[in-house]
Amino acid sequence: MTLGARLVLGVVLMVAGLLKVTRLDASIQSVRLYQILPWDVTAAVGSALPIIEIAVGLLLVTGTFVRVSAVVGSLLMLAFIIGISSVWARGINIDCGCFSPGAEVDASQTQYPLELLRDTGLLLCGAWAAWRPRSPFAVDNWLFAPVTEPAEDPDPTIADDKEPAR
Amino acid sequence: MTQNNRERLRQAQADAAKQQRLNRIIGVGAAILVIVLIAVFVGVLMQNQSQQAVNSSSAITPPNATSDGKAVVVSPGVAKQGAPVVELFFDYQCPVCKQFESIYGSTLNTLAASGDIELHYRTMSFLDASLANDASLRAGIAATCADTVGQYSAFHNEIYAEQPATEGEGYTDATLRATIPARIGITGDSLTTFQSCYDKQATKAFVTTMGDLGVQDMQTVTKQVATPTVFVNGKNLPFSGLGDPSGLLDLIKQNA
Repeated sequence: MTLGARLVLGVVLMVAGLLKVTRLDASIQSVRLYQILPWDVTAAVGSALPIIEIAVGLLLVTGTFVRVSAVVGSLLMLAFIIGISSVWARGINIDCGCFSPGAEVDASQTQYPLELLRDTGLLLCGAWAAWRPRSPFAVDNWLFAPVTEPAEDPDPTIADDKEPAR
Repeated sequence: MTQNNRERLRQAQADAAKQQRLNRIIGVGAAILVIVLIAVFVGVLMQNQSQQAVNSSSAITPPNATSDGKAVVVSPGVAKQGAPVVELFFDYQCPVCKQFESIYGSTLNTLAASGDIELHYRTMSFLDASLANDASLRAGIAATCADTVGQYSAFHNEIYAEQPATEGEGYTDATLRATIPARIGITGDSLTTFQSCYDKQATKAFVTTMGDLGVQDMQTVTKQVATPTVFVNGKNLPFSGLGDPSGLLDLIKQNA
């Protein structure tokens, strides 16, 4: 279950990031069109976002620091959801960018709910992976492998109370 | 006594193993953090650099650009005293802009030529972001390069005829640097000048800035970034009033 959530969110983030990373100009431009962030901040966010998406996606797919990366991935999705809702609520037509009396407005308006649904699904994936970070085929399994206790431990209480167990 | 020593040794081993585990976690975590930070840093830096490269190398500002870099003036210098300034925001990839142009384009041109209005073209390129290509920017570069050989509005008027039927297909370089110039009679030295301007993307910085300033102005005035949009003396012209092109001048005057 967690493996699935990890892979879905991770792959989507990686693909989204890779699509944008070669075209940072366009990435900045699309951040601007949301009209939420101050103009000068958009350049930094637009350039950094694809790279962060790829990084978090990679971490999730490989299962490295699953809890932390799932939280970051979920926060990204939450930000997207807020962004899309805000744009939708303000009646800004981003997809077409066209002033369009009639049919084209309807067509694009039906896209916002779809996008929101998609991002909500991804957010749930992230939340699940953050809640239950353990899964097979994960670097974490090696990284956080418990210390192998000596065969006969005379007094386990002494060994255990120095550090909280993970 | 030996029993106690052995226990102590075992304890030390367990501690060492724990320490090793902790080091491993911290080490890997720090390495990942550093790599990501460097990647972000390099990305932002490269973005800045590419912007600067465009700004410096052989950059051209079209001769008929307004001094604030927001627009290119159509029929410059003929506007009558007090003629309303009409600003048209458009994107060469926008189908509705093509529609708007086919209905009102020639009227606007005539009014500009007669000096009844001062016509500013504000080329946007934000559709590139949603269509995942760079055709709006390249078309904008081509049109402003045509201005360097005195053919700006002729070029503008021909671009939409070549707009691909499917939105997102984009203009090809061949269309922009050969087909359209040939059609409007850019030949010989002018053609060389035009094509060298286009190939070097000499007006890219101007077009990019024109798009940025346009998006900012639309955000300020209409709270909405959309094309086509028309400003009359800096105010939004509501399209609800649009009718037959013959009534366009009156509508503009009413909203001036």
